[in-house]
Amino acid sequence: MEIGLIAIGAGLAIGLAAIATGYAQARIGSAGIGALAEKPELTGRVILLIALPETLVILGFAVAAMIILLLGG
Amino acid sequence: MLVPMTKVHLIGHRRRLQPTLAALQGLSAMQLIDVTKDASVTLPPLSADDAQLGEIEELRYLIARLDAAFALSSHPPQPSSSVVDLGEIRVEIDAAAPELEDLSRATDELEAELETLPRHLQSLKRLLPLVPELTELESYDTDAVVLDARHSSVLGDLNAALDHLLSGNFEILAGQVDADSVGAVIVTPKRARREVQELLGRQQVNRVRLPPRYESARFRDAVTLMERRLVDLPVEIDTLHDRINAAIEPHEAWAAARVQARERLDQLIAMGHLGATAHTFVIAGWVPVTKLEDVRRAIAAIGEGEVVLELVPIDDADEPPVLMENRRPARPFEALVSLLSAPRYGSLDPTTLMMIFLPLFFGMMLGDIVYGGLLMVGALYLRHRFRVSSPSVSEFARVFVLAAGWAIVWGIVYGELLGDLGHRWFGLEPLWINREEALEPLLIFAVAVGVAHVSLGLLLGVWSAMRRHDRKRLSNSIGTLLALAGLLLVVGVAMGQVPSGFMTPAVATVVVGLVLMIALEGPMGLLTGPLELMGTVGNVLSYLRIAAIGIASVYLARVANELGALGPVWIGVIVAALFHTLNLALGTFSPAIQALRLHYVEFFGKFYEGGGTAFQPFGSLERKG
Repeated sequence: MEIGLIAIGAGLAIGLAAIATGYAQARIGSAGIGALAEKPELTGRVILLIALPETLVILGFAVAAMIILLLGG
Repeated sequence: MLVPMTKVHLIGHRRRLQPTLAALQGLSAMQLIDVTKDASVTLPPLSADDAQLGEIEELRYLIARLDAAFALSSHPPQPSSSVVDLGEIRVEIDAAAPELEDLSRATDELEAELETLPRHLQSLKRLLPLVPELTELESYDTDAVVLDARHSSVLGDLNAALDHLLSGNFEILAGQVDADSVGAVIVTPKRARREVQELLGRQQVNRVRLPPRYESARFRDAVTLMERRLVDLPVEIDTLHDRINAAIEPHEAWAAARVQARERLDQLIAMGHLGATAHTFVIAGWVPVTKLEDVRRAIAAIGEGEVVLELVPIDDADEPPVLMENRRPARPFEALVSLLSAPRYGSLDPTTLMMIFLPLFFGMMLGDIVYGGLLMVGALYLRHRFRVSSPSVSEFARVFVLAAGWAIVWGIVYGELLGDLGHRWFGLEPLWINREEALEPLLIFAVAVGVAHVSLGLLLGVWSAMRRHDRKRLSNSIGTLLALAGLLLVVGVAMGQVPSGFMTPAVATVVVGLVLMIALEGPMGLLTGPLELMGTVGNVLSYLRIAAIGIASVYLARVANELGALGPVWIGVIVAALFHTLNLALGTFSPAIQALRLHYVEFFGKFYEGGGTAFQPFGSLERKG
């Protein structure tokens, strides 16, 4: 397959996943910081909650890597 | 590890209450239990009388005044060990208060002036080119105004109004002072001062107001005076600070009084937690087993047999506090574990495991000899720099010393020295994986690390469930382990790495694992079991971030090197240094957060039981202050 199309596919896989992660982290982050203003002892849990959506971009990375490795030869 | 706790009751005669409390306070080894919340104590709580309530109020007031005084000084005195008379200290504080208040007020005023003066000066300097020589005449007044450029038409109205009032005996000089503002200097006769001010007020023009000290000065003189004042102010502020320090620093007795007052206040508040009759008292509390003998000795020293220590069996309703006690290298990681939530009493303390894996994962992600070396130098500097002033920061730097050590080791494994610079200049070759080129082995390695770490978490979950005789969790953890192992075999067969004959046993293992995950969960298990298995697979794949972050870091380093090679050598060195610094900053922050996340979410999720309350012994609060 055209190498350019493979690269675009891989880029879309990780790029769209990154947008989704960023959107989720922005929503969780703003709520989390609000919670921290009231209860600073929640720091650990807020970090955890903000970090949770990162799995999405990691899965996007996995898909992008598979596209490159399997199709790119 | 978590230190086992013992529940104790101290029972004695009321006249021995004060020495008992003082001994416990000095020892700082027992967390008091409020007797109203402890079913094992049947005595009514000891209620404070009016004298004690009055003493509490007085002590709080004295502590607040001493805190306020010490907050003024940059060198507060260290407490002496002598016992002081709190009444005398109160009198001393009352005597010193007026001078301290005056000095503090004067310092605040000067600091406020130092902050506002540059703004006034800036406004005046912008207007200075507009000021005519006319202002030197004694019989004329000068007013300065600064307007938003969009409202500059106001000046036309003002001109007409002044003309009507003064019949042309005035001058307005206006000009653009910056992109958004127009400045104007209005020169009017002194005799018409009041009418002009009223007119300016009616036109709603805001004059540039100067501090009172400069209001009577001429325009140019005010600028000179302000510049001179800006030089003098820091010196005056320093002098006042020195006077405040000199007024507070010699009073070691005040610092001793603060400690003494806090101790006494803590005792009085603690009395509300005790049980008592007319002649006896009972103090209930938690003592770490390692400190039990110390408490026994301290109680015996009060008077043989006068206060009795009784061990009380812990029942299911009790929630003992948690005291983490690990070997010195692992201690800085206790704070990282507690950041999530302190472990529940009786559960597993993962601090040592975190000490092993967190720096290891960090090193796997950063993996560069020079980056690791620089981070090591920074961490060692922090350890040395804060050893005395902030021991907790110094201790925490130990985490980064370990992480930097692993980054160097993995840098050797990946053959990376400032990215690919080691290879270009010195022919440095990787011992195992070249992260730039070997993407597939790197991904497989990251997943393998994930399988190992998550499996360890599941095994700890099995052990923890066995200790607690929790059949449901035991079945779930074993089932997840089996299903994960089966899935790995299936993948191995599909990839041709394992003989195809293993397919049937592999699928059977997955099914058995799923059945175990579902079995004790009831009908909902049919839904939660498969979901949980998918979650565990997601957890394993999440370790791909070790590869992803690493690749991002190595490519940024390569970009730095290639940009550095483009122009002349000296520009190249600067550009490369800037990019490598950026990469080091990112490469320190991101792997630290990601390694923490892998622990909190993927690893702890399999066995960790949080929700514990930290052990806070009686007598520890006033020592911290």
